[in-house]
Amino acid sequence: MSQEELQNLVVDKSVDARGTACPGPLLEAKKSIGTIASGEIMEVLSADEGTKRDIPKWANKKGHEYLGTVEDSGYFKIYLKKG
Amino acid sequence: MAKLCMGLFSGSLDKLTAAGVIMSGAAADDMDVEVFVLLQGARAFIKGNENKIDNLAEASHLKGEFTQALKDLNVSTWYEFFEMAKEMTNVKIYICSLAGKIWGGEKLEDFNGLVDDLCGIGEYLTAAEEADIHMFI
Repeated sequence: MSQEELQNLVVDKSVDARGTACPGPLLEAKKSIGTIASGEIMEVLSADEGTKRDIPKWANKKGHEYLGTVEDSGYFKIYLKKG
Repeated sequence: MAKLCMGLFSGSLDKLTAAGVIMSGAAADDMDVEVFVLLQGARAFIKGNENKIDNLAEASHLKGEFTQALKDLNVSTWYEFFEMAKEMTNVKIYICSLAGKIWGGEKLEDFNGLVDDLCGIGEYLTAAEEADIHMFI
């Protein structure tokens, strides 16, 4: 997905994990994805650099779709579609 | 489901924290986790000792820097990581019975709530043999 498409996505769940370091955002993502239905979209906000690679890899392994990442000032938003 | 087997020999703050981070990553991945707590490690699991662990296994002169950084970065304590992992996936924690005795723990009730049972070394080796990932910390 393009940056513009990502920014215009309507998300079903937003998880703010900016206050935590690795593995906090991954754990938040794991907990929260259990609360949405298949096909729904979740965004994870993180300021932890390691998470940028970690969450997409985890999502693909777990059968969720990684839609892309948008950089904001001092943090980024990772978009996932639950499988 | 993939299985992670961990030999936790160290009872120091730095290595317990590392074990906790790795374990919670395994939990996020829905792995089954078995932890075998050996010698020095068992001291951290004696009831009431969880907040008394403050030594580092490596670079002990950097203890102040390390503990302050963990606090500043809002990193969970080693005990919290273990608790979170247990809530998220199938984590079993076994104390080697010899290790327990060294620190005054003879029975399951001498240990904190993380511990599932006491075990012998044979069970650890069998678990390591059967696991997809084995690590010794």
